[in-house]
Amino acid sequence: MHDAPHVAGAVIFGLDPLWLAVGILLAIYAVVMLEKFNRAVLALLGAGMMILGGVLTQQQAVAGIDFNTIGLLTGMMVIVAISQKTGMFQYVAIRSAKVVRGRPWGVLVMLSVVTAVFSAFLDNVTTVLLVAPVTLLITDALGVRPYPYLFAQILASNIGGTATLIGDPPNIMIGSAAHLSFYDFLANLAPIIPLIFLMTLAAIWLMFGRDLHASEESRDLIMQFNEREAIKDATLLKKCLFVLALVIGGFTVAHDFHLEPATIAMSGAALLLLLQTWGQPLSEKDHAYEGIMAEVEWTTIFFFVGLFIIVTGVEHTGAIAWLAERTLALTGGDFNATLAAVLWISAVASALIDNIPFVATMIPMIHNMAPTFGGEAALVPLWWALALGACLGGNGSLIGASANLIVAGFAQRAGYPIRFLEFMKHAFLLMLLSIAVSHVYLYLRYLA
Amino acid sequence: MHAHKIMVRNPESAHIDEQVGKVLVRMRSLKLRMLPVLSDGNHVEGVISTYSVMSHIVPNYIVSGDLESVPYAPDLGLLRRHYRELAGKTVREVMEKPLCVHLDESLLSVAAALCSFGKHEYALVVDGDSRLMGVISAGDILDRLRLHAEGELDA
Repeated sequence: MHDAPHVAGAVIFGLDPLWLAVGILLAIYAVVMLEKFNRAVLALLGAGMMILGGVLTQQQAVAGIDFNTIGLLTGMMVIVAISQKTGMFQYVAIRSAKVVRGRPWGVLVMLSVVTAVFSAFLDNVTTVLLVAPVTLLITDALGVRPYPYLFAQILASNIGGTATLIGDPPNIMIGSAAHLSFYDFLANLAPIIPLIFLMTLAAIWLMFGRDLHASEESRDLIMQFNEREAIKDATLLKKCLFVLALVIGGFTVAHDFHLEPATIAMSGAALLLLLQTWGQPLSEKDHAYEGIMAEVEWTTIFFFVGLFIIVTGVEHTGAIAWLAERTLALTGGDFNATLAAVLWISAVASALIDNIPFVATMIPMIHNMAPTFGGEAALVPLWWALALGACLGGNGSLIGASANLIVAGFAQRAGYPIRFLEFMKHAFLLMLLSIAVSHVYLYLRYLA
Repeated sequence: MHAHKIMVRNPESAHIDEQVGKVLVRMRSLKLRMLPVLSDGNHVEGVISTYSVMSHIVPNYIVSGDLESVPYAPDLGLLRRHYRELAGKTVREVMEKPLCVHLDESLLSVAAALCSFGKHEYALVVDGDSRLMGVISAGDILDRLRLHAEGELDA
């Protein structure tokens, strides 16, 4: 075992702090997986137990919260909450279906591209929340089975989200913990994403493409859609596009100005909140502000807060350092083998459990490997392996990512349920394929 | 008072294997919003109503509220296609569960059943073998009550 635990004070009932902290972590993980309780409540309960149990002091717990991740998530949630009111998602989805003149395969490709691009710059859940119902409408008009379209959309959201710092929560956590900028993600992860995306589309073509047919009449119906009617507030749309451009531009240059992404996202959110109700009376401004704040996913935010404290507690006991040592012992301290282990284990784990707590645990573990591999700078390929594994792994099953479950919910309500095993039969192999491609990419780019 | 005393006998009905389109034409020409659905031997299988047909035409993803407003969709085109598809189906694919009462059911009990199953235009009166004997609508009950109140009928 690693060094003796360095806990702050007396641990409750004289328990071993390491076993108490690990017990809390595993218990919270297990109950979160049961999906019987709100996960934010569980995480906060676990965080409270870490402090009440004596594993952490309150100061240590607060210091363990990564406020860069929290700020970035909250800021982007506010921007997305305002943007979704404009109807731009629906506009782009319908426009893309018309660009390919309603050809069924072309529509599938275009909707997947739209989903991937939106997911790269906004959060995956919002993207599918707004694009999937329009997809049901479009497939209905085309008279085709919606499953291939929704299946492709799930995969596209997770693949697109992998490309950028802000695309998927694991990337936000990794970027913040490893001080990797938006540009770093673009330069290191984005190049492989188009290849994975194209391979996935090719596989979807082989699975479903040849069965997608639509009559001329159905395609005419698509061309009769009037996408301009989807825009609910053109003025607000202009404001949103302006702020989004500023924020994304800000992300790309933030590193040069020693700014953290949270600063950019929160400033952008504040600016958009200001512009959204510009010129309106104070009462309406307050009303609009409260409406937007209600749409922020506080459950996710507080889940992160609780999780950061739980993982900090486990880290303080030395358990994560021990786990890192064991992993290194298993891989013989070989960097290639360690990278492979991080990539593949992250992918399989993320397909089966929530990738957010998994990544929260993996981050300090990878940090602990720094001395073995010659310092923090040498760890960078491991961070990319973790990001690729955790984000793409979400495609492995219907429970692999929140976006998957959202799409499945829409499909169920529309009368076209997506079966867990049917999805996994198609998706798990595609996920493994994407991880294999990622492995080759990581090897050629960083190890060869 | 029992159901068989006030029920309307020999009501119009649809056969379970009839096409929805033809039944709808008949319903509209007779100005009826609901018909009992029967199998061979007059056995009650369900009811078909303008609401049950409509609920099969409007897509679930809109009814559920997942797609809140669709001002950009060519609604008439979409609904027309759904109607065409539905019109060719048999009544058994569209029918809903019936509200049945027995011949010797009390008036109060029939009235209570109609109130509980609000979307049903009328209750189907059946015998012990689930054969259709007649129908009773809320209007029939109210008419009977009004006549009693005006003293035109003995209690």
